[in-house]
Amino acid sequence: MLPPHGQSSIRNASAKSRITPLLENLVALNIRPITVRERKLSHILLFLEDIIKVPLFRCQRCGECILSSTAFICSQNCPKRLRNGPCGGTGEGGSCEVFPDRKCVWYRIYFRSRLLHRVSLLYKVNSIHNWNLEKTSAWLNLFRGRIQGSMLFLRNDTQKVKDIISDDAAGKI
Amino acid sequence: MTLQEKFESNQFVVCGEITPPQSCDGNVLRDRSRHFKGFVDALNVTDNQRAIVRLSSISSATILLDEGIEPIIQMTCRDRNRLAIQSDLLGAAALGIRNVLCLTGDHQTFGDQPEAKGVFDLDSIQLIAAVATMNSGFLLSGSEMKKPPEFFIGAAANPFAEPFKMRLIRLHKKIAAGARFIQTQAVFDLGIFARWMERVVEMGLHEKAAMLPGVMPVRSVKTLLWMKEKLPGMRIPAEFFSRMSQARDPEEEGITIAVEMIRALKNIRGVRGIHIMPSLWESVTPRIVKEAGLHVAH
Repeated sequence: MLPPHGQSSIRNASAKSRITPLLENLVALNIRPITVRERKLSHILLFLEDIIKVPLFRCQRCGECILSSTAFICSQNCPKRLRNGPCGGTGEGGSCEVFPDRKCVWYRIYFRSRLLHRVSLLYKVNSIHNWNLEKTSAWLNLFRGRIQGSMLFLRNDTQKVKDIISDDAAGKI
Repeated sequence: MTLQEKFESNQFVVCGEITPPQSCDGNVLRDRSRHFKGFVDALNVTDNQRAIVRLSSISSATILLDEGIEPIIQMTCRDRNRLAIQSDLLGAAALGIRNVLCLTGDHQTFGDQPEAKGVFDLDSIQLIAAVATMNSGFLLSGSEMKKPPEFFIGAAANPFAEPFKMRLIRLHKKIAAGARFIQTQAVFDLGIFARWMERVVEMGLHEKAAMLPGVMPVRSVKTLLWMKEKLPGMRIPAEFFSRMSQARDPEEEGITIAVEMIRALKNIRGVRGIHIMPSLWESVTPRIVKEAGLHVAH
């Protein structure tokens, strides 16, 4: 089930590679590979995670959970799997361009973010998905520092939110 | 003068859009491009638009360079993963292409091969940031390039799709990621566009990136209906349907509407140019540019 995760160490070994702040926020460079022992733990945790996240959020098990910044609606239900907001094809009334009978996932995220006072979290540029983490436990990945911190308890306008937004890859170009 | 220099010296810019042929016949593209020469500052080359296979945008752009037209290549995330995107961009830079419009891309189910696998490894915002990273001298692996490309980065925006406020957040993200010019979806509803531009100016985004509203000349009511049905995120007020259906010569009326639209758009604060999308009606471009009183500097 799980993909081999050892490869990323090839990149880590490269002496020439340098991480700029811009890059650091865009791709997950130099993350700890998932070891064989960890994979077993990941399986068990993923099982527990699925029991909660699949029925509640229609979790797509990307292993790089950004639910806390998307008002607890899984953005990976978007047919284009967009992580940074809706594409230009949202129809009138917020219908999805690919499945017109469904609501655009990002349309729902926006309105629920308003309801929960979490709109400012939508300004954050989410990094490019690390496909090595697909179908692994996001909880384990978070605990092991492979993915960015959860913004579960943050609301609009707190200093921490402002820091996250201004500290983004985006701001440093 | 390059497109970037024109923006930097505050010129009013005119962009066009060309659709490459569904064959390897470069002459078709050359013939189509002649309608634009001398009438636009730069020409967008679509990248398998509507998920239909066409001559590649980078190859087409090379042909345009030979013809003496500055191309803007469109780069979508539908057909390429991060490896292909970076490699294609390096190729484009080596061929002398300077302008890139970063798009997510139409979903493959809209095309004529809906069974295809959509890639979407990156989204448009991440693509913009990736190109900016390459400009700064690094590949996404972190390895440094001896000669970094110097892309002038563009992005698209659709002011007419809901939720409207989310569109502004997305525009903010695109500009923050490195987009320096923004081409919008075709404007038919001037009211919505004017309100959107007001918000853009309020947020100060018009100073960080040049805003180019899209204008699409329409030939007949049939095209208008097709657009309303098939192009997601389009907003066409009923007024245009009645104008087009009552007109004695729908083509003339289409030109009049486009010219009126450009004149109105030019006067909106923050607008730095016009993006004309004639689709496959390229021959109309010179007339529209002349009648709307747009001047192209050489």
